[in-house]
Amino acid sequence: MVTFSINKSFVTSPEWTFVLYATEILSEKAKSMINNTDGRASDIEKTIDIDDVRLSRQGDPDAYTRLIERHQQEISKIMWRFSRNRTVHEELVQDVFVEAYISLATYKERAPFTHWLTRIATRVGYRYWKLKAREKKFERFSLEDWDQLNTKSSEEIDASQAATLLHNLLGQLSPRDRLVLTLRYLEGCDVVETAHRTGWTKSMVKVQTFRAKKRLQKLLPKQEIVL
Amino acid sequence: MKNDFLNTLINKAQQEESPKVYVSDKVIAILTADERRLGWFWNKPMMWIAALSSALAVPSAVLAFILNNIWVGPLYEISKVISWVM
Repeated sequence: MVTFSINKSFVTSPEWTFVLYATEILSEKAKSMINNTDGRASDIEKTIDIDDVRLSRQGDPDAYTRLIERHQQEISKIMWRFSRNRTVHEELVQDVFVEAYISLATYKERAPFTHWLTRIATRVGYRYWKLKAREKKFERFSLEDWDQLNTKSSEEIDASQAATLLHNLLGQLSPRDRLVLTLRYLEGCDVVETAHRTGWTKSMVKVQTFRAKKRLQKLLPKQEIVL
Repeated sequence: MKNDFLNTLINKAQQEESPKVYVSDKVIAILTADERRLGWFWNKPMMWIAALSSALAVPSAVLAFILNNIWVGPLYEISKVISWVM
């Protein structure tokens, strides 16, 4: 058995004072790294994610649980654009994490885990819309609902009401048009990010956006759409 | 008429909070069940025997078909007659 003992004279020595000082500086540095908002905190998060991804690949369920817990609200927000039915929404979030686990070997660790995950979420959501379109299940939308809400002032409109109306309006379009408009205008993605999330080329995103806006215009014939 | 209403709706919709979800337990349960199902399959000795025998059955059937073609083919019949005459 190995025992360590600190000499009493060492505790009062200048070396010991130096050790204490160095520890204090290091802990301050670590705290500032965690609290820093200029991207270093996200670097730390990325490192934590990658560590958990590696452990998950080795079959550690706790590591994957941590990954899910860190990202589930973000994915919930994305999937809420794909379905406003709470049961379906929760199933879609589950599907994203199940699919992510199955494809975990394809994650290259170059981009943050969250970027890779949002791409999977988009794919799962798009697949759900395509399935719904094949089954001819469309959202219910009427121009009366639109006109009724249009008479209200901006302050009177509830966020949930607005999101539901938009969801139903976009639900009249094809899944492809719906996806590009949802990502560009509801999610606020630029062309590059939309291309990344859909797996399309940038020019394809631009053409698709243009065509989708034209088709949206046909749904609202009395009004000029400026997006 | 320009449609500022659509932009108002978009801005409002972006402010909407999504429902809180806690799916970690369910996801882990789904993944564990899948792994258990696969594990159950490969841990059964009869499953191994079935897998091996089905893997052997296909080449055996192909080999039997080829040998059958060789032995009952017209060339084989002719060569048998010639060897008898000689």
